Amino acid sequence: MKITKKIITKIEGEATLKIHKNNNIIEFAEIEFWQYRGMEEFLKKRPYMDACVINPRVCGICGHSHLIATSKAIENALDIKITNKAKMLREITLGLEIIQNHIKWFYLTLYPSVKSKDYFNALNFSKEVSKVIAMIAGQFPHNSYAIPGGVTCDLTNLEIIKVKNYLLQLFERYQKIMDIEGNSSDLDELFENIPKNVGKSLNRFLVLGSDLYFKSNGSADLVKEEKSTSLNKNALYEDAFIEVGPLARNLNNIYVKKIYEKYQDSVFTRIFARLYEINLIFEYLIKNIENIDINEKNYIKPSKNSGKGIGVVEAPRGSLIHEVEIQNGLIENYNIIVPTQFNLSNGTKNSPSPAQSALMNENEKLSDFIFKCFDICAVCVSH
Amino acid sequence: MRSKPEIIWIDAVTCYGCSHSFYNYPQIKELLSKINLSYHPLLPSNGFEIKKCDLLIIEGALKNNFTRLDFNLNELVAKLIKLAKRVLLIGTCAVYGGIFGEGILFDKDKKGKFYRCHEKIISIPGCPPHPEWIAYAIEMIIKDKKILLDQENRPKEIFAYTSHMGCTRNEYFEWKIDAEDFGTKEGCLFYYQGCQGPFTHSSCNRILWNEVNSKPRAGTPCFGCTEKTFPKKALFETETFMGIPANIPLGVSKRAYLTLSGVAKSLKNERLSKRLIDEDN
Repeated sequence: MKITKKIITKIEGEATLKIHKNNNIIEFAEIEFWQYRGMEEFLKKRPYMDACVINPRVCGICGHSHLIATSKAIENALDIKITNKAKMLREITLGLEIIQNHIKWFYLTLYPSVKSKDYFNALNFSKEVSKVIAMIAGQFPHNSYAIPGGVTCDLTNLEIIKVKNYLLQLFERYQKIMDIEGNSSDLDELFENIPKNVGKSLNRFLVLGSDLYFKSNGSADLVKEEKSTSLNKNALYEDAFIEVGPLARNLNNIYVKKIYEKYQDSVFTRIFARLYEINLIFEYLIKNIENIDINEKNYIKPSKNSGKGIGVVEAPRGSLIHEVEIQNGLIENYNIIVPTQFNLSNGTKNSPSPAQSALMNENEKLSDFIFKCFDICAVCVSH
Repeated sequence: MRSKPEIIWIDAVTCYGCSHSFYNYPQIKELLSKINLSYHPLLPSNGFEIKKCDLLIIEGALKNNFTRLDFNLNELVAKLIKLAKRVLLIGTCAVYGGIFGEGILFDKDKKGKFYRCHEKIISIPGCPPHPEWIAYAIEMIIKDKKILLDQENRPKEIFAYTSHMGCTRNEYFEWKIDAEDFGTKEGCLFYYQGCQGPFTHSSCNRILWNEVNSKPRAGTPCFGCTEKTFPKKALFETETFMGIPANIPLGVSKRAYLTLSGVAKSLKNERLSKRLIDEDN
């Protein structure tokens, strides 16, 4: 047996992969993250509202999910209810963040690990998606418009109509990438020389958030973090590794289910679910934007200033958890558990994490591709 | 034919928000076609190599004992800066340290580890910096055009402005009408909500974000993210001194500001004191 060390880049940071192999077949892979930024420490003793500015900076591609998780955690700690209007606006910006993420991941991260492909159309698409987020939130990346109690913006119907028409336009444009029946020539091209059934994993799925159309199948109380061999922490559910993300939250969809029945939780199914999710988010947002009542309040001022709370969000890569403890308006403790901690925990050969399990028994030349199909966010891990 | 300028874009301690902001530059394809991007942490590029380049772009802060591409980060940055003809620091982390560590040109308000190289360094702070600012700096540098810089190596064509310039809440600022709370169209966020627009160098409200909006326009205060003080404590609160904001607009004396405020308040603007859109009016 031989062990080779690889540094995987282009994953919003970097990870170290130590591959144990036998004749190019992967027997086991260790996953390590060697960066640490200390964001939770940085928050301590600051007024809780500061977390709405600091936390989006956990990540440049999914920072908005961190903002929403922050506000939810604080709202939970201080018993704040927000209006339907504020909730719906947050769903639009959250959903759009997922979409821009998936587009960039597919064309900038995944494709280059197999073959070169023009990515400017993808960047242009994600730029337009980001623009719609900015119409509501002020800018993207790094806005702070979702605050405990609601949102800071006060839109008129002018902006709502503009957002709605942009959604319709982008949804139609997306049909060229993957249509609502799941046909995608770019996905077919990616798999020209790769078998569709490689990279099967644990077949255990977790969805903690109930944002958009997602249905939760678990409780954040059963999530546990444990020390890993590098600077990240493993995340477990009921003491076992589990997969989070688009495949987990879209298994009930008929098109995803059809692919899943054929290829199980393989690389192909995982990628398909991710691309198909974009269609489902567009459909959900286009339907539900109609329910916004412009006359509802945007913001309700919190009345408490101490408490403990938890905020759960379905982020682009899966379930994201923020936990906060506030005393007299100041942050006493803060803890963040990110989706990549679940999918890329560093387990053992007998008890591997989802990504480790997907790599085992596959050919080493596919390691980069299989690894990246989980859409790794190394920078989130190194918060 | 002259070969294209070679650019290395390296990631120090960052969230990659600078890169993702840059992706939103509408003419990114045209811009990238003018250069040879030999390394970028996310965009498809060649493998990383420590070598000479025409322009080194650094995103992120310095930090001791931080590993990047199997190198010690601070040592890696030192080697790359030495070999580069020009250096472009993008983002508040790279310029001043920001949230994550120590800046390259400055460490908050002190001179930074690489201040001695300041003659070849251009600073584009911002968390994140606006895509147009990054594109501007790249274009100016590769064409070897003269860039007028301020004391902190920031291009004046961007940072001579304040983020207050062009804010849609300016009328409320003129008449000293504060926003009652978050989530309203009406009122200026400078008095209670912590807005740093009048003393933050940036052109956010002049050129807008994502071509359509800005934080203050969306009811969020300016957090002064282009400055060395970012992120100050209590970002959603205005620090006051004897009832007036402790930090006043750039270029005005406290006394002048107080006088002006008193006059503006006493000559109450009736129209702006009401809701903008109301069923009864």
